[in-house]
Amino acid sequence: MPTYPETTIIQGLARVQRERRLPPQAIPRPVHIVAGQTVDAVTVVLAGDILKRYRILDVGAFFDIRQAQKAAELIEVSEGQRIQVGQELARRGKGRRAKSMLSPVDGQVVRIEDSRIIIQARERTVEIQAKIPGELVSVEPNAVQVAGNGAIIQCAWGNGQFAFRPYRFLPDEGFVGLSKLDVRISEFRHVVIISPAPITKGDLLVAQQQDVAGVVAPSMASNLREFAMQLTFPVLLTEGFGQRRPTELIYTLLQSNMGRQAAFDAAVPDPWSKDRPEIVIPLPSGGTLPPRPALDQPVAVGARVRIIRAPGYGRIGEVVALPDAPQVVGSGLRLPCARVKLPNERVVVVPLANLELLGQTVGPSRADQRT
Amino acid sequence: MAFEHVNSLLVADIGNVHTRLVLIDVVEGQYRLIATSRALTTAAPPLSHVGLGVERAADTMARQIGRGLLSLEADQMFIMPEAGGHGVDEFLATSSAGRPMRVFLVGLTPEISIASGRRALAGTYVTLTDTLSTDDLRSEEQKINAILRDEPDLILIVGGTDDGADDILLDLVKTVQKSLLLLTRGKMPVVLFAGNRALKRQVDDLLSPVTEVYSARNVRPTLADEQIFPAQIELSLVYDDYRTKSPGGFVEIGRHSQVGVVPTAQGLISAVRYLSHLPQKGVGPLVADIGSANSALVAGIKREPHFTIRTDLGMGHSLASALEAITPENVQRWLPFEISVDEMWEYAYNKELRPATVPGTAEELMLEQAFAREILRLLVADARDDWGLGQGDLLPAFRPIIAAGSILTEAQHPGIAALLLLDALQPVGVTELQADPYNLLSSLGVVAFLKPIITVQALEAPGLVNLGTAFSPLGRIQYGQDVMYVQARLADGQIVNHTVRGGEIWMVPALPGDPVELAVKLRGGLTISGRRRFKLKVTAGAAGVIFDGRGRPLVLPRPRDRAARFMQWQLAMMGQRGGPPPSPDAGALLPSLEDLYPTPEEAADANLS
Repeated sequence: MPTYPETTIIQGLARVQRERRLPPQAIPRPVHIVAGQTVDAVTVVLAGDILKRYRILDVGAFFDIRQAQKAAELIEVSEGQRIQVGQELARRGKGRRAKSMLSPVDGQVVRIEDSRIIIQARERTVEIQAKIPGELVSVEPNAVQVAGNGAIIQCAWGNGQFAFRPYRFLPDEGFVGLSKLDVRISEFRHVVIISPAPITKGDLLVAQQQDVAGVVAPSMASNLREFAMQLTFPVLLTEGFGQRRPTELIYTLLQSNMGRQAAFDAAVPDPWSKDRPEIVIPLPSGGTLPPRPALDQPVAVGARVRIIRAPGYGRIGEVVALPDAPQVVGSGLRLPCARVKLPNERVVVVPLANLELLGQTVGPSRADQRT
Repeated sequence: MAFEHVNSLLVADIGNVHTRLVLIDVVEGQYRLIATSRALTTAAPPLSHVGLGVERAADTMARQIGRGLLSLEADQMFIMPEAGGHGVDEFLATSSAGRPMRVFLVGLTPEISIASGRRALAGTYVTLTDTLSTDDLRSEEQKINAILRDEPDLILIVGGTDDGADDILLDLVKTVQKSLLLLTRGKMPVVLFAGNRALKRQVDDLLSPVTEVYSARNVRPTLADEQIFPAQIELSLVYDDYRTKSPGGFVEIGRHSQVGVVPTAQGLISAVRYLSHLPQKGVGPLVADIGSANSALVAGIKREPHFTIRTDLGMGHSLASALEAITPENVQRWLPFEISVDEMWEYAYNKELRPATVPGTAEELMLEQAFAREILRLLVADARDDWGLGQGDLLPAFRPIIAAGSILTEAQHPGIAALLLLDALQPVGVTELQADPYNLLSSLGVVAFLKPIITVQALEAPGLVNLGTAFSPLGRIQYGQDVMYVQARLADGQIVNHTVRGGEIWMVPALPGDPVELAVKLRGGLTISGRRRFKLKVTAGAAGVIFDGRGRPLVLPRPRDRAARFMQWQLAMMGQRGGPPPSPDAGALLPSLEDLYPTPEEAADANLS
């Protein structure tokens, strides 16, 4: 029976298409882009204001007018109007003796009820970047599709930040060595650091002090999540939390593209969001479109898979057999399994649930057909 | 097709990790579970279409039984109705997948109407964002922000007895109306009104120009009377609507089902309501379901379902929030090895990142089973007030206790599944333990509304797996002292005598399905169902017949004795006595789940023969 495991894309060259979307409550601001346009990773493709808190301002109370109708006549703004802090909302009198009611916030007038003005205050402005260099495939007021070519490495966790920067591997002395460098002339300044070993809070503090553009590591302690979320540069974990062995393929891929700039999108994982933390290294494709990663392939003999649970975590191997009957595994559970040949030629039995595919294209996928 | 003409029925239960399919059909005049299958759920991005998972499970099932199920026609998912040995007459779907519905609750008083509203909401997958009642001292501006801040999907309005005072509740409704009128972007929440019936029309007039308004009978028609069932039925319609409007392809799946996509918990509640009305011993049934994102405990007490659903307790998507609720210190009590608090958190966060994965080592499995025990204990603690139990009171005599969710039903041995239930729930007296590995119960709960005979017959056999009958004496037990003298006459006439000692669990070595005649005598001061001596004939389950001499409440061993005692219990429940602890790969020596749980096909065959 075909089994469809999860997929984490780790590919040397693929066509990457991503949707960038404004949050649903954002009011779009005009951005001058068109479909077909070439964009950089940092090109702002969408912008908008996030309005949140409502403020009720009573014009009658402000001017001490009891009759709502009379107070309403003083209102100078209309429903739907965008306003800025300090902007006049209502005025009584003329000339030097005039008294004005000013907006305490930036925002939008959402409703005028008798003599009351209800404003939704702007909480923040969002600007959404393309995040991968490429071409805008489609453009809508709230969403765009951007596509490019490159190496793609999907990660396990990110802290919500983004950078498009060159990257370097951590020096042999690790973060201790990095801490000894003069930040003004350090070659690691404004560069994303790739650490093949798990990182600590001390390492992140060094990275912050050295003004790096980001950190990629296999794992870190889970109690550093909050701290990492406060950092202004991306932190990407390729494996997860705790002491995790790096997936060799990921670090080989990063090594082989050293010197290039890459998009480090440390999206916070959310099972219900399309965004996944990932690294995209833009690469030329020689005039041909590389294949799109396959997302819903069944596991089959010959497939390259990654083991995502102990024992054997992070190892990549090839499926050599798919036994019909469930197998008893180390936990004592009896589960549908695959026999996986590791690079050292050893064959291990792994539950199908603990394997993931790497996005290799085998044939047209059903998801592609649907979209 | 009208349901009375339905012979074959395909039911999908779409969980957050797995989509399970069960096929029920008529075999020699009786509705029987014919086949089951499952696939990974495909609701989440990048696939975002639950239909793919359902199709895959259906494809697997079709190959198993050689019966075509999937239609080639573009607008039809399944071959319906059944013809020529292919297809099915009807399809139904339940689901617990996806983000819980965010609900803002409005009511007159926190103690009465808000409390009833909360109980009504406990029947589906919701996150309560905030509440508003008459004693709320916040300003109008603050109230409006409270309503809209967390972008609720539903505003539930309850309050007032039927034909009672109306002005105060109407003021609250007007605040809701004002708030909704301010929404110019994003998703407009729907409203469910389940308050004073005299206000229904006015509420409708105020709110239906702004949003979609559902209504249900008052949850508190009188001060003394609480009726949350009609509100729950309406809530399940609202949930179906919410699901169909959410990404994930639920709308397409719902289109093929006569009743849309019903919350799995609602199916369980219906099933327990149905089971509660069957002739029974004990208080009524208890269903414990631990999923990846949500967990539920549904009890039948006085023929009415009482339930607790927690969207923050689960073994996958919600494991970190579950660990926060159950605390690492409590989990540690169930582990025969040391693990640091940090390691526990790391396990939980990693499981959240990859919720579909399974334990790879014996230690990981023990850790997950320890989480499950504590989740169940917390669910019971939550339910205590509702069940009318005081602190320290033992579990009422629920019969049967039914386990659902992979962590409980897919243990390394049925005996371990039974042990998890005994450890976490600590039943007293005689308890039938059952497992629902195919999530049949929620499906049959939905079917019970449409054609009860299907539920009646499909539940009889072989849908639920009988784990076994457990005997747990009430009274003070000392470790090592004699507790029970058991004489068991097995099906082959062999007589087994055993003295169960304090701290021991003993399993009668009987084959699943075999009748066992028991004669039990308890030590002075101990009773089972109020008796010191009794004779009883029971059917051995997949975990035999269980005698739990560990006492109630269960006193866990000291840390230094923990490893040895846990190992004794585990071995006893796997039909092995004593001996050294198993090595990490001891699993290879254990009997398989399939050897002990008959497949539905085998069970159906056995039933027919």
